Amino acid sequence: MKQKHFALGVAAYALLTIASPVAGQDVPPPAVVVQPESKHPEKSAAEGAKPPEQQPEKQTEKKAKKSEQDPGFRWTDHPSLRLGPGTHVDFRARLQGNLQHSDVSLSEEEGDSSIDVARRRVGIDGEILDLFDYQVEAELGVRRDPWRDVYLNYKQYGFAEVLVGKFKVPFSLEENTSATRLDFIHRSRIATLLAPGRDLGVMVHGRVLPGGWLRYELGVFNEDGSNARTYNPDRVHGERTLAGRALVQPFRSTKSLASDLAVGVSFTTSELPEGVSDLRGRTELDAPFYLPAVVVSGQRQRLGFEARWRPGPFSLKSEYIRLSDERLGQSVDNADLSPFVSSGWYVSGTWAVTGENKADGLESPRRPIFQGGFGAVELALRVERIRFGSGADDPTASNAPRSEVILGNADRVYTMGVNWYANRWIKVQANLVRNTIALPDQGPMPSQSGYWSRIVRFQFSM
Amino acid sequence: MTRIKNARRSFLIAAATVCAGLAVAAPARAQSQDELFDPDAIQELRLTINTRDLRDLRANFEKDTYYTADVQWRNIRVRSAGVRSRGGASRNPLKLGLRVDFDRYVTGQKFLGLKSIVLKNLWQDGSMMHERIAMAFFARMGQPASRQSFCRLYINNELQGLYVIVESVDNSYLDRRLGEHAGYLYSYQFRGPFHGEYLGEDFAPYKERFQPQSHEKEGDTKLYLPIHDWLREMNEPDGAAWRRRVEQYIDLEQFMTHVAIEGFLAEDDGVLGVNGMNNFFLYRLPDSTRHRFLPWDKDGAFLVIDYSIFQRAHENLIFQRAYAIPDLRELYFQVLETAARSALEDGWLEAEVMRVAELVAPVVEQDTRKPFSTEAFYESVEFMKEFAQLRSKLVLQQVAEARRRR
Repeated sequence: MKQKHFALGVAAYALLTIASPVAGQDVPPPAVVVQPESKHPEKSAAEGAKPPEQQPEKQTEKKAKKSEQDPGFRWTDHPSLRLGPGTHVDFRARLQGNLQHSDVSLSEEEGDSSIDVARRRVGIDGEILDLFDYQVEAELGVRRDPWRDVYLNYKQYGFAEVLVGKFKVPFSLEENTSATRLDFIHRSRIATLLAPGRDLGVMVHGRVLPGGWLRYELGVFNEDGSNARTYNPDRVHGERTLAGRALVQPFRSTKSLASDLAVGVSFTTSELPEGVSDLRGRTELDAPFYLPAVVVSGQRQRLGFEARWRPGPFSLKSEYIRLSDERLGQSVDNADLSPFVSSGWYVSGTWAVTGENKADGLESPRRPIFQGGFGAVELALRVERIRFGSGADDPTASNAPRSEVILGNADRVYTMGVNWYANRWIKVQANLVRNTIALPDQGPMPSQSGYWSRIVRFQFSM
Repeated sequence: MTRIKNARRSFLIAAATVCAGLAVAAPARAQSQDELFDPDAIQELRLTINTRDLRDLRANFEKDTYYTADVQWRNIRVRSAGVRSRGGASRNPLKLGLRVDFDRYVTGQKFLGLKSIVLKNLWQDGSMMHERIAMAFFARMGQPASRQSFCRLYINNELQGLYVIVESVDNSYLDRRLGEHAGYLYSYQFRGPFHGEYLGEDFAPYKERFQPQSHEKEGDTKLYLPIHDWLREMNEPDGAAWRRRVEQYIDLEQFMTHVAIEGFLAEDDGVLGVNGMNNFFLYRLPDSTRHRFLPWDKDGAFLVIDYSIFQRAHENLIFQRAYAIPDLRELYFQVLETAARSALEDGWLEAEVMRVAELVAPVVEQDTRKPFSTEAFYESVEFMKEFAQLRSKLVLQQVAEARRRR
């Protein structure tokens, strides 16, 4: 425990010392980089491209582009090796550490408080001849499957780009938002537990229709993502998966407050072999509240709806996800049972108290620390619910593997947060979380349904 | 006048409705535990298990994995019960020994007030009546014993053969026999020869052997310290205080009674068993450190007619020490004599053998999964009759001889 404290202290000091000289140098204001729409799969369609009116002046862009295209080594936001026009390698690193305390015991070793290194990622990304985007990213200190995004994107035609490799299945707004850009320390329960996550696949995506107001993603994947998957061979997950997502920004080309408004729908469908479902109910601090023994077989289908709006310093975001596992021939007398359904929603809002425009991102505050300012401060609130099975409403419900009505469990979560963007590299988040487990006897505190957790995250990314 | 007629008609309709209601309700009310454990009936019990689960259950019969099953008895269907393989040497994939837990998946679910039952496959008993008659004899001797009844067991509409439905030793059993269930109940698990030796300071070997059936979530000290102390005290040298110290932890009179009944029944897999102690539950009374024995699994009884009343008595440390105390020794003899006379009284044991044989014979003939022939069944019944006729006399002779030797 002491060693961990020491390690975190050293890491925090290192971050500040790395950040300070860089920030202290006479660095020109960060060049505004026009984000290729599909460069980074983690940046969702909604996050990715900016409407034309929000883009910088073309002159500035040209100058910036010209200087960027000269071969050589650059270090603005991150180290970058320019190899020629339209070809570069950017070096990325990301470190996130959490201090967390909860009313429930987080682990036998550490009791109700712990320090957790959430992410230690390094990688490269870039472009090749302006025709391809690529990224290779790995998690350090992970033995099993350390690779995260590893892909190549052919982007010659904006209406039909082709992405190949390992990347996030196009489902869920929040799951497809980079972990460094989240409004809260942890993603919503539905994004974490019901959305698929990463997998090997090939995907066609692009913007179509006048003004590019419809963005689509359609892909085939080896399996149905790593989020729900366990390494328990007795549990089954979706196999070959077809996934699609459509996002509409109907006012994209207008100058109104509604220009950023985006609504979308997504689906996945997979073959599901016979066995016990791999879905699990866990809180944001990984405390289990539902481990199903439900035997499933047939198809796994997901359906998602999403909406996002970021007027000025505010943002409002919501999603609904429904995941259904068929149970063909799974009753005690080999008849079909009703599907095992898991579903949930969240609604979240943020307010940049220091006035930044949320749609532009708060990662580069107007007045960064060490440059005469305090950074950017944002308040956030999220309400969410996730439910597995039918809940306790039905008196015939049980947790038997072949029960017609599955009892399951549910978790309602309120999260209040404060985000401090010190500068473009450092972000500190604090969340106060209230979990309410519907059937507490299956949860981390069998004697009571509600409990509090407090989490602080330190993030360094470049 | 019309009003009176209408009133009379209303009354008649109401009375008819009430009678009809009672008539409908009557069968349901009659379906009680007593009817399930009716000693004169062969029940019909049907389990419905998913084909894949049944295949897994047979393939993994040595494991205690639970599967979902619907259980049907008469017009009562219990859904989503938990079923698993059970037994020691009797476990096999052909004629599964089963335990059914009605509340495994559905909290609080019961069948006729029972949380669980055991379906014994009668795999090691050619007469198929050892268990049933031995338990009936324990009850006749005033000792707690599980109720039992024979049944035809069907799984997915396929006859599995003759089984015995055995009442589990649980809270409702304790309530019925001892009038309460607040104490600590342990199922003895066979883990190799054990004769009452002190198992050391560490609780691990106690946990292995004495599996808690109640208060499971309590700490090791609460659960195992009294058992540890019992065995430690029992293995202390003799002395004037030995009995007083040991009787804090075990009812020695009840222990000698239990062993004497097993001895009369020629039980070779009980407390003085061939592989050490086996087939019993231990119950610690509430607010006490004192334990008593409860009988379980008696298909190893009726081994031979001339079974010695001191068979392996020298191996068991508890029996040895208790037998050395005159009044406990005398109690042992007295219980053996009482048992012998009770079995003979009105020809009870022989009549019981005949009655059970007649009851089960048609089902035994249908039972294609039994590991022995129908002829072997009839031979075993003949042996049981002989046992009933001769055992009492032999036991009384052995007791008289033992008394003379003292």
